[in-house]
Amino acid sequence: MKIIGLIVAVLTGGLLVYAAEDFPAWSDPASPASTYLSPHFIEKTIEETSVPNIVTAVLADYRGFDTMFETTVIFSAGVAVFLLLRTSGPKTQQTRLYRHQLTGVTLRIKEGADLPPSDNFERIDRFWTPHDLIIKTVCRLLIPFIQLFGLYVIAHGHHSPGGGFQGGVILGASIILLAISHDLRTAVKRVAEKMDAVLCAIGVLIYAGTGALCLLLGLNFLDYKALAPVLHVDSIMARSHGILIVEIGVGIAVMFTMIWIYNNVSSGGKYNQGL
Amino acid sequence: MSSQYPALIVAVPLLAGLLVFIAGWVNKKWCFPIAVAALGISAYSSIGLLFRVINEGVIVYKMGGWDPPMGIAYYVDHLNGLVLVVVSVVAFLNAIASKRSIEDEFPDNIGAFYSLYVLMVTGLLGIVVTGDAFNLYVLLEIAALTGYGLIAMGGGRGPLSALNYLYMGTIGACFYLLGIGYLYIMTGSLNMVDIARILPDLYQSKAVMAAFIICMVGVWIKMAFFPLHAWLPNAYTYAPSASSSLVAPLVTKVMIYVMIRLILTVFTPEFSFNILAVSQPIVWLAVIAIVMGALLALKERNLKKMLTYIIVAEVGYMVGGAWLGNRVGMTGAILHIVNDALMTLCVFMAVGNIVYKVKGADFEDLQGLFRKMPFTMGAFVVGAMSMIGVPPTCGFFSKWYLISGAIQAGHYGFMVALVFSSLVNVVLFFRIFEICYYEPFSDDHGHGDEHGHHPEPAMDEAPVTMLVPLFVIAVILVLVGLYTGDIVNQIIDVAIPKGLV
Repeated sequence: MKIIGLIVAVLTGGLLVYAAEDFPAWSDPASPASTYLSPHFIEKTIEETSVPNIVTAVLADYRGFDTMFETTVIFSAGVAVFLLLRTSGPKTQQTRLYRHQLTGVTLRIKEGADLPPSDNFERIDRFWTPHDLIIKTVCRLLIPFIQLFGLYVIAHGHHSPGGGFQGGVILGASIILLAISHDLRTAVKRVAEKMDAVLCAIGVLIYAGTGALCLLLGLNFLDYKALAPVLHVDSIMARSHGILIVEIGVGIAVMFTMIWIYNNVSSGGKYNQGL
Repeated sequence: MSSQYPALIVAVPLLAGLLVFIAGWVNKKWCFPIAVAALGISAYSSIGLLFRVINEGVIVYKMGGWDPPMGIAYYVDHLNGLVLVVVSVVAFLNAIASKRSIEDEFPDNIGAFYSLYVLMVTGLLGIVVTGDAFNLYVLLEIAALTGYGLIAMGGGRGPLSALNYLYMGTIGACFYLLGIGYLYIMTGSLNMVDIARILPDLYQSKAVMAAFIICMVGVWIKMAFFPLHAWLPNAYTYAPSASSSLVAPLVTKVMIYVMIRLILTVFTPEFSFNILAVSQPIVWLAVIAIVMGALLALKERNLKKMLTYIIVAEVGYMVGGAWLGNRVGMTGAILHIVNDALMTLCVFMAVGNIVYKVKGADFEDLQGLFRKMPFTMGAFVVGAMSMIGVPPTCGFFSKWYLISGAIQAGHYGFMVALVFSSLVNVVLFFRIFEICYYEPFSDDHGHGDEHGHHPEPAMDEAPVTMLVPLFVIAVILVLVGLYTGDIVNQIIDVAIPKGLV
């Protein structure tokens, strides 16, 4: 079996190399990819969409329909992970452990019993380890700036490298960093599971809904020109604004899907303390 | 609104897939109505679209209002118009039929399950309707990812089979993407019609040839064409009923549509059949696929698994028919996409009903089923007759076209394989009928009955919501058979380019 696999791999590799012989030279300005559609995008993008960043225009407008489904791919992955991992068994374990944060005393609460009335208890698991003070503090200082940068990346996608996917990943990573430096329960306190899941869908819904709105306003699906009367701008500017709206949708979808997948995978769907 | 049908077919289920998911967190009662309504609108739009295509010819829909090849366009012609109707109708009927089993099996996660279900249908419809080679890949990803999730929901070996499918499916999709990448390097375009316009000057290029081979192999992995079929039987067997009766009829058939689209539109029959000259070996591979599928099916002692091997054989029918390189064979292949989707749905829905009541599909579980579930078995018999190819069910007619195509091409091996596989199907299905009809009802399985000493088991039929869609599909099998002439003359004949004789 290994031999067959090797032969197949070598044959496939051979085919790819053999075919590469006919390719245009590396970075050849006369290659079909650079001469066929690129000139149109380079010359016309600002005129047609008033977006200085050609990549953003192609991604979110000329081929915006693809990008909508790319976002849906991410959402589907989130749903699949959730469906497979999130155990539908009893939500609470038989006995729960609580740690008194000031004294370090750990209490074991049996089913049905109540916790002593105090705000200083935190829920922990059997393999609990204390948070490292340095890591914890550095992350706390860092996370707001990471999030600010994430927002900048989303908002500035029209002019510089960036956009919804990149910004969404950065925003998602900030919450994941919180979960890693503290524990999953701390992060889930900030972004609850239900909110997380619903926002994933809402992010994609903003994108697809914008498309559907264009359709309802009388033009083709995702033709942002239709939004001009709603946004009170001319039809070219409407394209630029339309791109921003869908980028925000992508950002929300990507951010919360990242967090959601991390939560499910790191705790095996149990939502305990995580990694 | 009818000018927006192409967008509605895909956009409505996409929006519904998201809304269903939110509804799952708010109020689970809304999930089913939203999902079914969206699939219904999709089916209605695609039927309306097919009639428009028949009357007016090819319909082009520009996404975002951009002209192709700058933007993405949907091209709806007779070929994908027909497949769209099949996909949307199958998904709609199965959604109604599987309501009860979904509610029973996943009471906590109805929203997420319906969301994946509807998104998978979105993906499949998007693959069929699009005229852009890269857009096809993106939707292929959606259909695949949701499919892995749906299949892995089956208990026991379900997750493992889904993982195996995930590996193979990812390789297949990567191959397709790589092929499209090669084509883009050579042509600079991603629009199928545009690529077809540029390609004739490049027919001698090695890169174009490699692109064609890589795309084909990728699609073959996805459709489980014989040596690449290993993922299919387990994945489809261990999936929950609601998933397997969606995935089994549609995924392989949609991938065959993609293969035919690549042959007919992107690379043109001239290049595929004459310049490459690989038709003969591929038809022989199809012959092996058919024979091996039939033989492996004989070995199985579980109804669902047996049916999955029949799917492997059926894939061989369609690949072989398409690669015979003549008009009759291609007609047979396209007609068989329709028929096979419908009859696979029929038998898998019947199996779904059986599993719902008997909790198993091993041959021992089937004893006495004709008395216990007469209506389900009645529809199963119609589906089985169609798979064997008994007129007037539709399975007969596509097989007839395939065999005629084989004779016309002088490929007697393919003809013999088709007849052999039909005979094996006779054996397979009559063995099932025998067990269900004659074998005594054994009480050691005693499902439902506390005291199994009755010689005549009481009738214990599946609920009406599961039976009605099953009857509808059984009737459709006969109707499609009776109207084969119209389907072939008005739709399929126009779909195949004039150059192919």
